[in-house]
Amino acid sequence: MENENKNKSGNGNWSPRIVAFFCNWCTYTAADLAGVSRMKYAPNTRIIRLMCSGRVDPQFILEALARGADGVLIGGCHPGDCHYVEGNYKCLRRFRMLKRMLVDMGIEDKRVRLEWISAAEGEKVKRVVNEMVAEIQELGPLGIPKKFEEWDKEIEDLKHEIENKEKEEVAKQ
Amino acid sequence: MISTVEHPELTVCKLGTNLDNLLEQPEGQRILSCIQCGTCAGTCPYGDYMEYSPRKIIAMLRRGMIDEVLQSDSMLKCVACYSCMIKCPRGIKLSDVLLPLVKEQTLIRAKEMPAELQHSLQNTLRYGNPMGESSRKRAAWTAKSKAPVPIMSEIKRPVDVLWFVECYTSFYNRGQDNSCAVARLFNALGIDFAILGNEEKCAGDCGQLTWESGLFETLTDYNMVIFKKYKFNKIVTGDPHAFNAFRIRYPMYGFDYEVWHTTPFLAEYVDKLKPKLKKPLNLTVTYHDSCCIGRRAGFYDEGRTLLKAIPGVKIVEMVHNRMNSICCGGGGGGMWLDTYFKQKDMERLSERRVKEAIATGADVLAVSCPYEIYRFEDALKTIPHEKPMVVRDVVELLAESLVEE
Amino acid sequence: MPTTPIKNEPVKIGYYICHCGTNIASVIDVDAVAKYISKLPNVVVSRNYKYMCSDPGQKLIEDDIAKYQLNRIVVAACSPLLHETTFRNATRKGGLNPFYFQMVNVREHNAWVHSDREQATRKAIELSRAAVERVSLHKPLEIRKLPINPNVLIVGGGIAGIHAALVLANAGKHVYLVEREPTIGGHMAKFDKTFPTLDCAACVLTPKMAAVGKHPNITLWTYSDVVKVDGYVGNYKVTVRRRPRYVIEELCTGCLECIDACIYKEPKFSDEFNLGLGKRKPVYIPFAQAIPSIATIDANTCIELKTGKCKKTCVDACGDRKAIDFKQKEELKEITVGAVIITTGFKTFDARRILYYGYGVYPNVITSLEAERLLNAAGPTSGEFLTRDGRKPKQIAIIHCVGSRDENTNKWCSRVCCLYSLKLAHLIHERTEAEVFNFYIDMRTPGKSMEEFYNRVAEEGVNFVRGRVADIYPDPSDGSTGHLVVQAEDTLLGKILKVPVDMVVLSVGLEPDPASENIRKMFNLSCGSEGWFLERHPKLAPVSSFNEGIFIAGCCQGPKDIPDTVAQAGAAAAEAFSIIDLGNIEIEPNTAYIIESECSGCKSCIPLCPYSAISFDTEKHKSVINEALCKGCGTCVAACPSGSIVQNLFEDEEIISEINGLLEPIEVK
Repeated sequence: MENENKNKSGNGNWSPRIVAFFCNWCTYTAADLAGVSRMKYAPNTRIIRLMCSGRVDPQFILEALARGADGVLIGGCHPGDCHYVEGNYKCLRRFRMLKRMLVDMGIEDKRVRLEWISAAEGEKVKRVVNEMVAEIQELGPLGIPKKFEEWDKEIEDLKHEIENKEKEEVAKQ
Repeated sequence: MISTVEHPELTVCKLGTNLDNLLEQPEGQRILSCIQCGTCAGTCPYGDYMEYSPRKIIAMLRRGMIDEVLQSDSMLKCVACYSCMIKCPRGIKLSDVLLPLVKEQTLIRAKEMPAELQHSLQNTLRYGNPMGESSRKRAAWTAKSKAPVPIMSEIKRPVDVLWFVECYTSFYNRGQDNSCAVARLFNALGIDFAILGNEEKCAGDCGQLTWESGLFETLTDYNMVIFKKYKFNKIVTGDPHAFNAFRIRYPMYGFDYEVWHTTPFLAEYVDKLKPKLKKPLNLTVTYHDSCCIGRRAGFYDEGRTLLKAIPGVKIVEMVHNRMNSICCGGGGGGMWLDTYFKQKDMERLSERRVKEAIATGADVLAVSCPYEIYRFEDALKTIPHEKPMVVRDVVELLAESLVEE
Repeated sequence: MPTTPIKNEPVKIGYYICHCGTNIASVIDVDAVAKYISKLPNVVVSRNYKYMCSDPGQKLIEDDIAKYQLNRIVVAACSPLLHETTFRNATRKGGLNPFYFQMVNVREHNAWVHSDREQATRKAIELSRAAVERVSLHKPLEIRKLPINPNVLIVGGGIAGIHAALVLANAGKHVYLVEREPTIGGHMAKFDKTFPTLDCAACVLTPKMAAVGKHPNITLWTYSDVVKVDGYVGNYKVTVRRRPRYVIEELCTGCLECIDACIYKEPKFSDEFNLGLGKRKPVYIPFAQAIPSIATIDANTCIELKTGKCKKTCVDACGDRKAIDFKQKEELKEITVGAVIITTGFKTFDARRILYYGYGVYPNVITSLEAERLLNAAGPTSGEFLTRDGRKPKQIAIIHCVGSRDENTNKWCSRVCCLYSLKLAHLIHERTEAEVFNFYIDMRTPGKSMEEFYNRVAEEGVNFVRGRVADIYPDPSDGSTGHLVVQAEDTLLGKILKVPVDMVVLSVGLEPDPASENIRKMFNLSCGSEGWFLERHPKLAPVSSFNEGIFIAGCCQGPKDIPDTVAQAGAAAAEAFSIIDLGNIEIEPNTAYIIESECSGCKSCIPLCPYSAISFDTEKHKSVINEALCKGCGTCVAACPSGSIVQNLFEDEEIISEINGLLEPIEVK
């Protein structure tokens, strides 16, 4: 039943890094349950605990991607079961909007995922994480930090070019 | 999700599943969860006659003693009625996966295959139908039909419905009655349809349930090529076994057409059909749920809905009905094992069923499978009954009541 | 509380990773993690230790704080839901504000779910680094204390609710007990005798019911439902709807004279308490020992209530007591309670769902609960166990696991059916001398004296057949006499049995009551996929819910027998007591506040708050959060376009530093 991702990130074989935002009441507890039940799943997620999925600021998702995450997973309570009545709905609305923007920016749909996972669904944590890791493994690295470097370099080069041109023109005159 | 009465699941298993690798597949893992409750043996219509009931087969398989099972003829007695599978409290895919695999291996090891069965399987391979009729006569029945029956290769245009007629309904008399009725109903409803004519070959469901997998694949490959030749939106067939094969096995070979059996298909049109059913029949009817339409596909109400649409029809139920219906004994190759079963002193299931039908006091035993017409008409000859009873397919009753404008 | 915040002091972090015996250390290289963390900026101490939650482990933190003047603590161990409070306390004892602490979950989210040592160690490092970066930004916070209302609400008046109510009431606390039926007693009141002792259910239950009825500390509201819940632990505001029973409770003496006088001479309507096996009149008391012993008039069947044209003989019979009031309206009661105990019980499986057992088709196929009523001396047949057509049965089948252990219906074992089936076998055999066949899959008799009971019933000559019944049908050789054939494989013999019987008892399983689903929603309880209410921890918090101050007991949490139900009810009462008796409660300081200078007054946040904690100050043109109402979900924080809302403990900077800590590249060896 073990389905751990055997790729090692340290030694050349790439394997995705996923930041997960889990709500305290349902999904974080479900992940605890998966642990207590000793289910095995891919070691690529890093969970950040929030009180409610409604606290997930789109900025967090963007930050995570910008700082090198290959995917972001958000976990909240099932509709109607939110500990704070309807934080999960708020999350869903923001998520849909952000998703549209991300797709426009060329970030693949499967990299950012929202799942309702109740405190009893340890099995679902396992399934969702494994699915997501497999999907992103297929997509390959997102590599935004590296792109930032490249863009920075492009800008530097452009600057140099302009400076050089200016210098040439000055020289001509 | 596992099979339930309401929503039997479609996916069966991966191609290439066999008894050696079964326990590693997801279906096999369900087998490991068997609690040996004996529901399968208890509900099996031939449970009394089996040395190794499904329960014991599972126990032997888990102990690595399956070879002993394959020496016995227990699985030849399985009529693929899905009764064990639908009642299994562990959701084990007995009739879909385990039992056909055991049956195949039993037949491979059998010193002598029952002659009748062997003959039918050979015929199917050579002629594309179990009765060994010439494939060039497959569409001959259409001459009997009062309603026009277009043939794909002749009309040379896309149609909405490809009507897959199947063997019994093409070649046997009473089967042809059934087909003529369907042709009338399709025409009356203005359905844009055509048949494959002589290009059609047996869908192979019974070959597959006896798990003659070589034969089944030959037929699958042939039919898939023919399907690809033409353009149509859906396949409708009057044979529950073909329906079963298309729904459950063919997708493993790349088949992805929408597929219907005539009974549920016509039930979709019941509102349009009802005003045309003008001739009252004044009959008491009892409806037999066929295994592949009822238990395996969950269509219990459709046949009854159609019957209720006929003026003058009163429905009565047999003791065993809906998901608890008793098989006619024709599935899983049982159609060609009657002699073998008789040698073994086994009760004919069609007779068991007909006794229940007689007890209802109905005039008509309504069915939705061409096999059943033969089996029940036969059984009625041997079972004494005072009040006359006839066997009719639902489509025949509909056509009888139909008055064309 | 110690700890004045230390301003502008350099951050000094102490980091501790726990081995948890071998639970963590066998998968994660704790040494390597501690070594890596020790090299991070601001980390002064980095250790690994066998059991951080032990006294010496906590002492280690306290001592290090003193020795190295630490001002931030990070512990990597189990889930914060388990030990966060433990380590916050250790931090506090060391002289720091308890919120200068951050916990890392390397057990449930790491060691227990991964087996690749290198990957797990890397994950532990990244998670720890995130916590180290985050804790530097932590601010000192004060735990909020709120006063607690000392009253308790109990929802559901079965044996669980009754027992919990008596425990609390005897301890001097005021209890509101709300029950939807006209009487308390629940399922237990319907049973005849109870396993394994065979003491009669009524004999043990009714004294407790009576005690509830007359207890000065219990307000009993039957025929009532909870319709609205607001507030939070210590201060729940609950609205209870009291349906009209058209009898004034204070005036009714339970004399039954109105029932005798009812215009219907004979009982005519299906009697719910007897599961429709008996009849009642429109005015009725469910059973003789009902509490409260007050008549109820059923609006669906009473002629006066339906048409307004009855002679009202009941009113005449009641006479000067004037207890009958046809104009009674439903009443909404608002109460405030500090804690709530949910004891809404279960529903028995609807046997119609298993088509081939013929329940609802064959009159002599009955459920176990119906069998209880037939056996009960106070039941519809005065305890005579007869077939529907009045015959004395000679052969009876009892079928175990109906709607249990079945993927097509309910997957779980209902736990009590084997034992109650044994009890029914004994009672039926004793009363009718019929031959009894128990069809079972596995005989499950755990618990004190249970196996001995099984022994006893076996010795009494009950036939045990190991096999699940596959079919029940009328005996075809038998015409229409009502005899049935029960067909099953005797799996021990490998033979198919077809046993002719006069009656079949289906031992129906227990399932969540769909009617309690809206209770679950109102109190925001979690449930598993099958619908049983979820306890906070299966072992260590079995009667707590995920909501502070709301407890669960009895079968709403899962199938269990009477002794376990009573034990849970007692536990829940004790847990509720421990909260309300304190007078006040500590609340996590994770509320949000608005930085006034940055608020643009756009009002986006106001409609988002589910607790209406945000209002608008029209003078200043700014939004304001009422901290007492805020529950700390952070939805408004995520929505604020100007970033002027801050959630304590979950500030944007803290979370972003955590993201950063997770994703920075690592150079390991």
